[in-house]
Amino acid sequence: MKLGLGKRRTIAARDAHTLAGAYAMDAISERDRARFEQHLAGCQECTREIASLREATARLGTATAVTPPAGLKGRVMAAAAMTRQQPPAAAEPDAPARADATVRAGAWFRSLAWPGRAAVAVAAAAAVVVLALAVVFGVSNGSIRQQLSQAQASSQQIAAVLTAHDAQMMTGPVAGGGTATIVMSHSQHALVFTAAGLRALPASRGYELWLIGPAGTRPVGMLPAGSQGMTGPVIAAGLRVGDHLALTAGPAGGTSQPTAPMMLDVAL
Amino acid sequence: VTQYLPGGTNPDVPRDPGNAGGPDPDHPGHPGPPAPGTGTDLAVQIGLVARGDAAAFDDVFEKVGPAVFGIVLRVIRDPAQSEEVTQEVLLEVWRNASKFDAGRGSAMAWVMMLAHRRAVDRVRSVQKESERERRTASAEVPYDDVIEAVESSLERERVRRCLRSLTNLQRESVTLAYYSGYTYDQVASLLGVPAGTIKTRMRDALIRLRDCLGVV
Repeated sequence: MKLGLGKRRTIAARDAHTLAGAYAMDAISERDRARFEQHLAGCQECTREIASLREATARLGTATAVTPPAGLKGRVMAAAAMTRQQPPAAAEPDAPARADATVRAGAWFRSLAWPGRAAVAVAAAAAVVVLALAVVFGVSNGSIRQQLSQAQASSQQIAAVLTAHDAQMMTGPVAGGGTATIVMSHSQHALVFTAAGLRALPASRGYELWLIGPAGTRPVGMLPAGSQGMTGPVIAAGLRVGDHLALTAGPAGGTSQPTAPMMLDVAL
Repeated sequence: VTQYLPGGTNPDVPRDPGNAGGPDPDHPGHPGPPAPGTGTDLAVQIGLVARGDAAAFDDVFEKVGPAVFGIVLRVIRDPAQSEEVTQEVLLEVWRNASKFDAGRGSAMAWVMMLAHRRAVDRVRSVQKESERERRTASAEVPYDDVIEAVESSLERERVRRCLRSLTNLQRESVTLAYYSGYTYDQVASLLGVPAGTIKTRMRDALIRLRDCLGVV
Protein backbone atom coordinates (compact mmCIF):
# COMPACT_ATOMS: atom_id res chain seq x y z
CA MET A 1 0.00 0.00 0.00
CA LYS A 2 2.67 2.46 1.03
CA LEU A 3 4.81 1.39 -1.86
CA GLY A 4 1.96 1.84 -4.32
CA LEU A 5 1.28 5.34 -3.08
CA GLY A 6 4.92 6.29 -3.32
CA LYS A 7 5.15 5.00 -6.86
CA ARG A 8 2.09 6.91 -7.92
CA ARG A 9 3.55 10.08 -6.47
CA THR A 10 6.74 9.63 -8.42
CA ILE A 11 4.85 9.21 -11.64
CA ALA A 12 2.64 12.19 -10.85
CA ALA A 13 5.66 14.38 -10.12
CA ARG A 14 7.48 13.38 -13.27
CA ASP A 15 4.37 13.83 -15.35
CA ALA A 16 3.72 17.19 -13.77
CA HIS A 17 7.21 18.30 -14.61
CA THR A 18 6.81 17.61 -18.31
CA LEU A 19 3.37 19.25 -18.26
CA ALA A 20 4.86 22.61 -17.19
CA GLY A 21 5.17 23.92 -20.75
CA ALA A 22 1.69 22.87 -21.79
CA TYR A 23 0.27 24.30 -18.57
CA ALA A 24 2.00 27.67 -19.03
CA MET A 25 0.37 27.91 -22.47
CA ASP A 26 -3.05 26.71 -21.27
CA ALA A 27 -2.61 23.80 -23.67
CA ILE A 28 -4.20 21.26 -21.35
CA SER A 29 -7.76 20.20 -20.66
CA GLU A 30 -9.62 21.71 -17.74
CA ARG A 31 -9.34 18.46 -15.81
CA ASP A 32 -5.57 18.22 -16.32
CA ARG A 33 -5.28 21.85 -15.37
CA ALA A 34 -7.00 21.29 -12.04
CA ARG A 35 -4.86 18.23 -11.35
CA PHE A 36 -1.67 20.07 -12.24
CA GLU A 37 -2.60 22.98 -9.99
CA GLN A 38 -3.07 20.57 -7.12
CA HIS A 39 0.46 19.39 -7.75
CA LEU A 40 1.74 22.98 -8.01
CA ALA A 41 0.38 23.79 -4.57
CA GLY A 42 2.89 21.41 -3.04
CA CYS A 43 5.85 22.02 -5.37
CA GLN A 44 7.68 25.32 -4.94
CA GLU A 45 10.20 24.54 -7.64
CA CYS A 46 7.43 23.89 -10.16
CA THR A 47 5.68 27.10 -9.13
CA ARG A 48 8.86 29.06 -9.77
CA GLU A 49 9.36 27.41 -13.14
CA ILE A 50 5.78 28.08 -14.18
CA ALA A 51 6.15 31.72 -13.15
CA SER A 52 9.23 32.13 -15.33
CA LEU A 53 7.58 30.35 -18.28
CA ARG A 54 4.51 32.57 -17.85
CA GLU A 55 6.78 35.60 -18.25
CA ALA A 56 7.90 34.15 -21.58
CA THR A 57 4.37 33.40 -22.81
CA ALA A 58 3.30 36.88 -21.75
CA ARG A 59 5.91 38.26 -24.15
CA LEU A 60 4.49 36.11 -26.94
CA GLY A 61 1.17 37.72 -26.11
CA THR A 62 2.26 41.35 -25.87
CA ALA A 63 4.00 40.98 -29.25
CA THR A 64 0.55 40.71 -30.84
CA ALA A 65 -0.84 43.91 -29.29
CA VAL A 66 -3.66 45.52 -31.26
CA THR A 67 -5.37 48.81 -30.44
CA PRO A 68 -8.76 47.91 -28.95
CA PRO A 69 -11.91 49.28 -30.61
CA ALA A 70 -12.98 52.76 -29.58
CA GLY A 71 -15.67 52.60 -26.95
CA LEU A 72 -14.41 49.42 -25.31
CA LYS A 73 -12.68 51.32 -22.56
CA GLY A 74 -15.83 53.26 -21.76
CA ARG A 75 -17.83 50.06 -21.47
CA VAL A 76 -15.19 48.41 -19.32
CA MET A 77 -14.98 51.41 -17.00
CA ALA A 78 -18.75 51.60 -16.70
CA ALA A 79 -19.09 47.88 -16.04
CA ALA A 80 -16.33 48.07 -13.44
CA ALA A 81 -18.21 50.88 -11.73
CA MET A 82 -21.05 48.44 -11.16
CA THR A 83 -18.96 45.41 -10.26
CA ARG A 84 -18.15 44.52 -6.70
CA GLN A 85 -14.49 43.74 -6.09
CA GLN A 86 -13.18 40.63 -4.37
CA PRO A 87 -11.60 41.12 -0.97
CA PRO A 88 -7.98 40.05 -0.53
CA ALA A 89 -7.45 36.38 0.33
CA ALA A 90 -7.90 36.00 4.08
CA ALA A 91 -5.39 33.30 5.00
CA GLU A 92 -2.98 31.96 2.43
CA PRO A 93 -3.83 32.45 -1.22
CA ASP A 94 -4.90 29.11 -2.60
CA ALA A 95 -4.57 28.63 -6.32
CA PRO A 96 -7.33 26.00 -6.66
CA ALA A 97 -9.95 28.32 -5.24
CA ARG A 98 -8.93 31.06 -7.61
CA ALA A 99 -8.97 28.75 -10.57
CA ASP A 100 -12.38 27.52 -9.51
CA ALA A 101 -13.72 31.07 -9.39
CA THR A 102 -12.32 31.70 -12.85
CA VAL A 103 -13.93 28.62 -14.27
CA ARG A 104 -17.27 29.45 -12.74
CA ALA A 105 -17.09 33.00 -14.04
CA GLY A 106 -16.24 31.67 -17.47
CA ALA A 107 -19.16 29.27 -17.48
CA TRP A 108 -21.40 32.02 -16.25
CA PHE A 109 -20.44 34.45 -19.00
CA ARG A 110 -20.92 31.79 -21.61
CA SER A 111 -24.38 31.04 -20.29
CA LEU A 112 -25.38 34.55 -21.31
CA ALA A 113 -25.02 33.78 -24.99
CA TRP A 114 -28.34 33.66 -26.76
CA PRO A 115 -29.15 33.33 -30.47
CA GLY A 116 -29.04 36.42 -32.59
CA ARG A 117 -27.31 38.53 -30.01
CA ALA A 118 -24.44 39.49 -32.24
CA ALA A 119 -26.85 40.77 -34.86
CA VAL A 120 -28.05 43.69 -32.83
CA ALA A 121 -25.47 46.12 -31.60
CA VAL A 122 -27.72 47.51 -28.95
CA ALA A 123 -28.38 44.05 -27.58
CA ALA A 124 -24.66 43.67 -27.14
CA ALA A 125 -24.61 46.86 -25.17
CA ALA A 126 -27.53 45.62 -23.10
CA ALA A 127 -25.68 42.36 -22.51
CA VAL A 128 -22.76 44.33 -21.17
CA VAL A 129 -25.08 45.96 -18.73
CA VAL A 130 -26.74 42.71 -17.75
CA LEU A 131 -23.32 41.16 -17.27
CA ALA A 132 -22.26 43.95 -15.00
CA LEU A 133 -25.53 44.00 -13.14
CA ALA A 134 -25.64 40.27 -12.71
CA VAL A 135 -22.15 40.39 -11.27
CA VAL A 136 -23.24 43.08 -8.87
CA PHE A 137 -26.56 41.64 -7.93
CA GLY A 138 -25.76 37.97 -8.07
CA VAL A 139 -28.75 37.24 -10.25
CA SER A 140 -29.12 33.53 -10.92
CA ASN A 141 -28.45 32.38 -14.47
CA GLY A 142 -32.03 31.46 -15.23
CA SER A 143 -33.50 34.78 -14.34
CA ILE A 144 -31.09 36.93 -16.28
CA ARG A 145 -32.73 36.38 -19.64
CA GLN A 146 -36.14 36.84 -18.11
CA GLN A 147 -35.07 40.09 -16.52
CA LEU A 148 -33.52 41.19 -19.76
CA SER A 149 -36.71 40.73 -21.72
CA GLN A 150 -38.80 42.30 -18.99
CA ALA A 151 -36.61 45.30 -18.72
CA GLN A 152 -35.30 45.57 -22.26
CA ALA A 153 -36.24 49.19 -22.66
CA SER A 154 -34.80 50.06 -19.31
CA SER A 155 -31.56 48.16 -19.98
CA GLN A 156 -31.16 49.95 -23.27
CA GLN A 157 -31.49 53.22 -21.41
CA ILE A 158 -29.02 51.98 -18.84
CA ALA A 159 -26.65 50.88 -21.59
CA ALA A 160 -26.87 54.33 -23.15
CA VAL A 161 -25.85 55.94 -19.86
CA LEU A 162 -23.06 53.46 -19.10
CA THR A 163 -21.51 53.79 -22.54
CA ALA A 164 -21.95 57.54 -22.89
CA HIS A 165 -18.75 59.45 -23.60
CA ASP A 166 -19.36 61.67 -20.59
CA ALA A 167 -20.41 58.89 -18.19
CA GLN A 168 -19.25 59.70 -14.69
CA MET A 169 -19.23 57.41 -11.71
CA MET A 170 -19.78 58.53 -8.15
CA THR A 171 -19.98 56.50 -5.03
CA GLY A 172 -20.52 57.26 -1.39
CA PRO A 173 -22.23 56.30 1.87
CA VAL A 174 -25.97 56.45 2.53
CA ALA A 175 -27.03 57.91 5.88
CA GLY A 176 -28.38 55.03 7.95
CA GLY A 177 -26.21 52.46 6.25
CA GLY A 178 -25.17 51.29 2.81
CA THR A 179 -23.28 52.60 -0.20
CA ALA A 180 -24.76 54.16 -3.30
CA THR A 181 -23.16 54.12 -6.74
CA ILE A 182 -24.31 56.49 -9.44
CA VAL A 183 -23.29 56.56 -13.07
CA MET A 184 -24.59 59.69 -14.74
CA SER A 185 -24.46 61.18 -18.18
CA HIS A 186 -25.60 64.72 -18.88
CA SER A 187 -25.54 64.04 -22.60
CA GLN A 188 -28.08 61.24 -22.02
CA HIS A 189 -29.99 63.32 -19.44
CA ALA A 190 -30.09 60.31 -17.19
CA LEU A 191 -28.36 58.46 -14.39
CA VAL A 192 -28.22 54.90 -13.17
CA PHE A 193 -28.54 54.34 -9.43
CA THR A 194 -27.53 51.24 -7.50
CA ALA A 195 -26.96 50.66 -3.80
CA ALA A 196 -25.38 48.02 -1.62
CA GLY A 197 -26.22 47.21 1.98
CA LEU A 198 -29.18 49.55 2.40
CA ARG A 199 -30.89 48.99 5.74
CA ALA A 200 -34.00 46.82 5.28
CA LEU A 201 -37.26 48.71 5.85
CA PRO A 202 -40.58 47.39 7.19
CA ALA A 203 -43.11 46.44 4.47
CA SER A 204 -45.07 49.66 5.02
CA ARG A 205 -42.09 51.79 4.09
CA GLY A 206 -39.80 52.05 1.10
CA TYR A 207 -36.91 54.01 -0.36
CA GLU A 208 -37.79 56.68 -2.88
CA LEU A 209 -35.49 58.53 -5.28
CA TRP A 210 -35.89 62.18 -6.24
CA LEU A 211 -34.37 64.65 -8.62
CA ILE A 212 -34.38 68.12 -7.11
CA GLY A 213 -33.19 71.25 -8.89
CA PRO A 214 -34.04 74.47 -10.68
CA ALA A 215 -36.62 72.52 -12.71
CA GLY A 216 -38.43 71.55 -9.51
CA THR A 217 -38.73 68.39 -7.46
CA ARG A 218 -39.48 65.25 -9.47
CA PRO A 219 -40.04 61.80 -7.97
CA VAL A 220 -37.95 59.19 -9.82
CA GLY A 221 -39.73 56.28 -8.19
CA MET A 222 -39.57 53.75 -5.41
CA LEU A 223 -36.48 51.58 -5.25
CA PRO A 224 -37.20 47.89 -5.83
CA ALA A 225 -36.71 45.59 -2.86
CA GLY A 226 -33.07 44.62 -2.45
CA SER A 227 -31.74 41.20 -3.27
CA GLN A 228 -28.74 39.84 -1.39
CA GLY A 229 -28.04 43.29 -0.06
CA MET A 230 -28.01 44.90 -3.52
CA THR A 231 -30.63 47.35 -4.75
CA GLY A 232 -31.33 48.52 -8.28
CA PRO A 233 -30.33 49.34 -10.94
CA VAL A 234 -32.80 52.17 -11.32
CA ILE A 235 -32.65 54.56 -14.22
CA ALA A 236 -33.52 58.19 -13.53
CA ALA A 237 -34.35 60.00 -16.75
CA GLY A 238 -34.89 63.72 -17.19
CA LEU A 239 -31.67 64.72 -15.49
CA ARG A 240 -30.97 68.45 -15.78
CA VAL A 241 -27.97 70.59 -15.02
CA GLY A 242 -28.04 71.75 -11.41
CA ASP A 243 -30.01 68.75 -10.15
CA HIS A 244 -29.44 66.94 -6.90
CA LEU A 245 -30.26 63.28 -6.40
CA ALA A 246 -32.01 62.59 -3.11
CA LEU A 247 -33.03 59.38 -1.39
CA THR A 248 -35.75 59.27 1.25
CA ALA A 249 -37.38 56.54 3.30
CA GLY A 250 -41.16 57.06 3.33
CA PRO A 251 -44.52 55.33 2.89
CA ALA A 252 -44.32 52.32 0.57
CA GLY A 253 -46.88 53.91 -1.75
CA GLY A 254 -44.69 56.92 -2.35
CA THR A 255 -45.30 60.62 -1.67
CA SER A 256 -45.59 63.69 -3.84
CA GLN A 257 -42.95 65.61 -1.93
CA PRO A 258 -39.80 64.36 -0.22
CA THR A 259 -40.86 64.99 3.37
CA ALA A 260 -38.97 62.22 5.12
CA PRO A 261 -35.37 62.90 6.16
CA MET A 262 -32.87 62.68 3.32
CA MET A 263 -30.78 59.52 3.40
CA LEU A 264 -28.68 60.88 0.58
CA ASP A 265 -28.31 64.20 -1.20
CA VAL A 266 -25.84 64.42 -4.04
CA ALA A 267 -25.14 67.38 -6.28
CA LEU A 268 -24.88 66.08 -9.85
CA VAL B 1 -25.04 65.70 3.71
CA THR B 2 -23.00 62.86 2.31
CA GLN B 3 -19.55 63.36 0.94
CA TYR B 4 -19.10 62.04 -2.57
CA LEU B 5 -15.95 60.99 -4.24
CA PRO B 6 -16.25 61.13 -8.00
CA GLY B 7 -14.25 58.49 -9.79
CA GLY B 8 -13.49 56.30 -6.82
CA THR B 9 -15.39 53.51 -5.15
CA ASN B 10 -13.83 53.45 -1.75
CA PRO B 11 -14.68 56.39 0.44
CA ASP B 12 -11.99 55.39 2.94
CA VAL B 13 -9.09 55.89 0.57
CA PRO B 14 -7.74 59.40 0.90
CA ARG B 15 -7.36 61.05 -2.46
CA ASP B 16 -5.74 64.13 -3.81
CA PRO B 17 -8.71 66.44 -4.49
CA GLY B 18 -7.08 67.64 -7.69
CA ASN B 19 -6.99 64.07 -8.86
CA ALA B 20 -10.59 63.14 -8.26
CA GLY B 21 -11.95 63.73 -11.72
CA GLY B 22 -12.14 60.15 -12.92
CA PRO B 23 -10.71 59.18 -16.30
CA ASP B 24 -7.85 61.60 -16.76
CA PRO B 25 -4.82 60.49 -18.75
CA ASP B 26 -2.25 61.86 -16.35
CA HIS B 27 -2.76 61.57 -12.63
CA PRO B 28 -0.44 63.90 -10.82
CA GLY B 29 -1.49 62.49 -7.46
CA HIS B 30 -0.39 58.96 -8.22
CA PRO B 31 2.75 57.55 -6.68
CA GLY B 32 5.61 56.35 -8.80
CA PRO B 33 7.38 57.97 -11.72
CA PRO B 34 5.40 58.48 -14.93
CA ALA B 35 7.26 55.76 -16.82
CA PRO B 36 4.77 54.21 -19.21
CA GLY B 37 5.12 50.49 -19.67
CA THR B 38 7.36 49.74 -16.74
CA GLY B 39 6.35 46.62 -14.89
CA THR B 40 6.62 47.92 -11.35
CA ASP B 41 4.44 50.86 -12.31
CA LEU B 42 1.72 48.50 -13.50
CA ALA B 43 2.01 46.46 -10.32
CA VAL B 44 1.59 49.62 -8.23
CA GLN B 45 -1.47 50.60 -10.23
CA ILE B 46 -3.04 47.18 -9.82
CA GLY B 47 -2.51 47.63 -6.08
CA LEU B 48 -4.48 50.87 -6.30
CA VAL B 49 -7.17 49.17 -8.38
CA ALA B 50 -7.55 46.62 -5.57
CA ARG B 51 -8.57 49.54 -3.36
CA GLY B 52 -11.24 50.62 -5.84
CA ASP B 53 -9.30 53.39 -7.56
CA ALA B 54 -11.12 53.97 -10.85
CA ALA B 55 -8.47 56.38 -12.14
CA ALA B 56 -5.77 53.76 -11.64
CA PHE B 57 -7.97 51.25 -13.46
CA ASP B 58 -8.16 53.69 -16.35
CA ASP B 59 -4.33 53.70 -16.45
CA VAL B 60 -4.23 49.92 -16.27
CA PHE B 61 -6.57 49.72 -19.24
CA GLU B 62 -4.30 52.03 -21.22
CA LYS B 63 -1.30 49.83 -20.45
CA VAL B 64 -2.72 46.34 -20.87
CA GLY B 65 -5.72 46.91 -23.17
CA PRO B 66 -3.87 46.53 -26.50
CA ALA B 67 -1.94 43.45 -25.34
CA VAL B 68 -5.10 41.80 -23.96
CA PHE B 69 -7.16 42.58 -27.04
CA GLY B 70 -4.31 41.49 -29.30
CA ILE B 71 -3.86 38.03 -27.82
CA VAL B 72 -7.60 37.45 -27.41
CA LEU B 73 -8.14 38.42 -31.04
CA ARG B 74 -5.32 36.17 -32.17
CA VAL B 75 -6.78 33.15 -30.40
CA ILE B 76 -10.48 33.78 -31.05
CA ARG B 77 -10.23 35.56 -34.44
CA ASP B 78 -13.78 36.88 -34.32
CA PRO B 79 -13.58 40.62 -33.46
CA ALA B 80 -17.00 40.85 -31.76
CA GLN B 81 -16.34 37.87 -29.50
CA SER B 82 -12.82 39.11 -28.85
CA GLU B 83 -14.19 42.40 -27.67
CA GLU B 84 -16.52 40.61 -25.26
CA VAL B 85 -13.75 38.46 -23.89
CA THR B 86 -11.41 41.45 -23.57
CA GLN B 87 -14.06 43.13 -21.47
CA GLU B 88 -14.41 40.01 -19.31
CA VAL B 89 -10.65 39.92 -18.79
CA LEU B 90 -10.46 43.56 -17.77
CA LEU B 91 -13.41 43.11 -15.42
CA GLU B 92 -11.62 40.14 -13.91
CA VAL B 93 -8.58 42.36 -13.34
CA TRP B 94 -10.87 44.85 -11.62
CA ARG B 95 -12.61 42.22 -9.49
CA ASN B 96 -9.52 40.24 -8.55
CA ALA B 97 -6.88 42.97 -8.34
CA SER B 98 -6.46 42.13 -4.65
CA LYS B 99 -5.43 38.60 -5.65
CA PHE B 100 -2.44 39.80 -7.68
CA ASP B 101 0.77 38.87 -5.89
CA ALA B 102 3.84 40.72 -7.14
CA GLY B 103 6.02 38.07 -5.49
CA ARG B 104 4.77 35.48 -7.95
CA GLY B 105 5.50 37.26 -11.20
CA SER B 106 5.07 40.47 -13.13
CA ALA B 107 1.74 42.26 -13.36
CA MET B 108 1.77 41.96 -17.15
CA ALA B 109 2.29 38.19 -16.94
CA TRP B 110 -0.65 37.95 -14.55
CA VAL B 111 -2.94 39.93 -16.84
CA MET B 112 -1.81 38.00 -19.92
CA MET B 113 -2.44 34.73 -18.11
CA LEU B 114 -6.03 35.80 -17.38
CA ALA B 115 -6.45 36.96 -20.98
CA HIS B 116 -5.04 33.87 -22.65
CA ARG B 117 -6.88 31.49 -20.37
CA ARG B 118 -10.22 33.16 -20.99
CA ALA B 119 -9.65 33.29 -24.74
CA VAL B 120 -8.78 29.60 -24.80
CA ASP B 121 -11.76 28.73 -22.59
CA ARG B 122 -14.05 30.60 -24.96
CA VAL B 123 -12.65 28.88 -28.04
CA ARG B 124 -12.93 25.45 -26.43
CA SER B 125 -16.50 25.94 -25.27
CA VAL B 126 -17.45 26.99 -28.80
CA GLN B 127 -15.57 24.02 -30.20
CA LYS B 128 -17.48 21.71 -27.90
CA GLU B 129 -20.74 23.05 -29.28
CA SER B 130 -19.92 22.95 -32.96
CA GLU B 131 -17.75 19.81 -32.76
CA ARG B 132 -14.39 19.52 -34.32
CA GLU B 133 -15.23 20.00 -37.97
CA ARG B 134 -13.41 23.27 -38.27
CA ARG B 135 -10.35 21.93 -36.54
CA THR B 136 -8.40 21.22 -39.68
CA ALA B 137 -9.72 24.33 -41.39
CA SER B 138 -8.38 26.62 -38.70
CA ALA B 139 -5.06 24.79 -38.51
CA GLU B 140 -3.61 27.19 -41.02
CA VAL B 141 0.08 27.94 -40.83
CA PRO B 142 0.08 30.05 -37.69
CA TYR B 143 3.76 30.89 -37.85
CA ASP B 144 3.32 32.86 -41.08
CA ASP B 145 0.50 34.72 -39.41
CA VAL B 146 2.72 35.63 -36.54
CA ILE B 147 5.40 36.87 -38.86
CA GLU B 148 2.84 38.94 -40.67
CA ALA B 149 1.41 40.44 -37.49
CA VAL B 150 4.80 41.06 -36.02
CA GLU B 151 5.72 44.54 -37.12
CA SER B 152 8.44 47.04 -36.67
CA SER B 153 8.58 47.46 -32.95
CA LEU B 154 11.70 46.33 -31.19
CA GLU B 155 9.79 44.00 -28.91
CA ARG B 156 8.05 42.28 -31.79
CA GLU B 157 11.33 41.94 -33.63
CA ARG B 158 12.85 40.32 -30.58
CA VAL B 159 10.01 37.84 -30.13
CA ARG B 160 10.22 36.97 -33.81
CA ARG B 161 13.95 36.39 -33.58
CA CYS B 162 13.53 34.17 -30.53
CA LEU B 163 10.76 32.16 -32.19
CA ARG B 164 13.12 31.61 -35.12
CA SER B 165 15.78 30.26 -32.79
CA LEU B 166 13.53 27.30 -31.90
CA THR B 167 13.49 24.00 -33.76
CA ASN B 168 10.61 23.62 -36.20
CA LEU B 169 8.77 21.21 -33.94
CA GLN B 170 9.24 23.46 -30.91
CA ARG B 171 8.05 26.51 -32.81
CA GLU B 172 5.01 24.77 -34.24
CA SER B 173 4.12 23.39 -30.82
CA VAL B 174 4.28 26.84 -29.29
CA THR B 175 2.39 28.68 -32.01
CA LEU B 176 -0.36 26.06 -32.26
CA ALA B 177 -0.74 25.98 -28.49
CA TYR B 178 -0.37 29.64 -27.59
CA TYR B 179 -1.63 31.49 -30.65
CA SER B 180 -4.23 28.96 -31.84
CA GLY B 181 -5.33 27.71 -28.42
CA TYR B 182 -4.92 23.97 -28.98
CA THR B 183 -4.27 21.46 -26.21
CA TYR B 184 -1.06 19.47 -26.35
CA ASP B 185 -2.83 16.36 -27.55
CA GLN B 186 -4.60 18.30 -30.29
CA VAL B 187 -1.21 19.68 -31.32
CA ALA B 188 0.18 16.14 -31.25
CA SER B 189 -2.53 14.83 -33.55
CA LEU B 190 -2.25 17.82 -35.89
CA LEU B 191 1.49 17.28 -36.23
CA GLY B 192 1.34 13.49 -36.13
CA VAL B 193 3.77 13.31 -33.22
CA PRO B 194 3.28 11.41 -29.92
CA ALA B 195 1.71 13.51 -27.17
CA GLY B 196 4.59 12.84 -24.81
CA THR B 197 7.04 14.32 -27.32
CA ILE B 198 4.90 17.43 -27.75
CA LYS B 199 4.70 17.98 -23.98
CA THR B 200 8.47 17.85 -23.73
CA ARG B 201 8.99 20.10 -26.77
CA MET B 202 6.62 22.67 -25.33
CA ARG B 203 8.55 22.90 -22.10
CA ASP B 204 11.93 22.97 -23.87
CA ALA B 205 10.66 25.64 -26.24
CA LEU B 206 9.42 27.91 -23.46
CA ILE B 207 12.65 27.55 -21.52
CA ARG B 208 14.56 28.51 -24.65
CA LEU B 209 12.25 31.44 -25.34
CA ARG B 210 12.55 32.59 -21.75
CA ASP B 211 16.33 32.60 -21.97
CA CYS B 212 16.34 34.19 -25.41
CA LEU B 213 13.96 36.96 -24.32
CA GLY B 214 16.00 37.62 -21.20
CA VAL B 215 13.06 37.09 -18.86
CA VAL B 216 14.21 37.39 -15.27
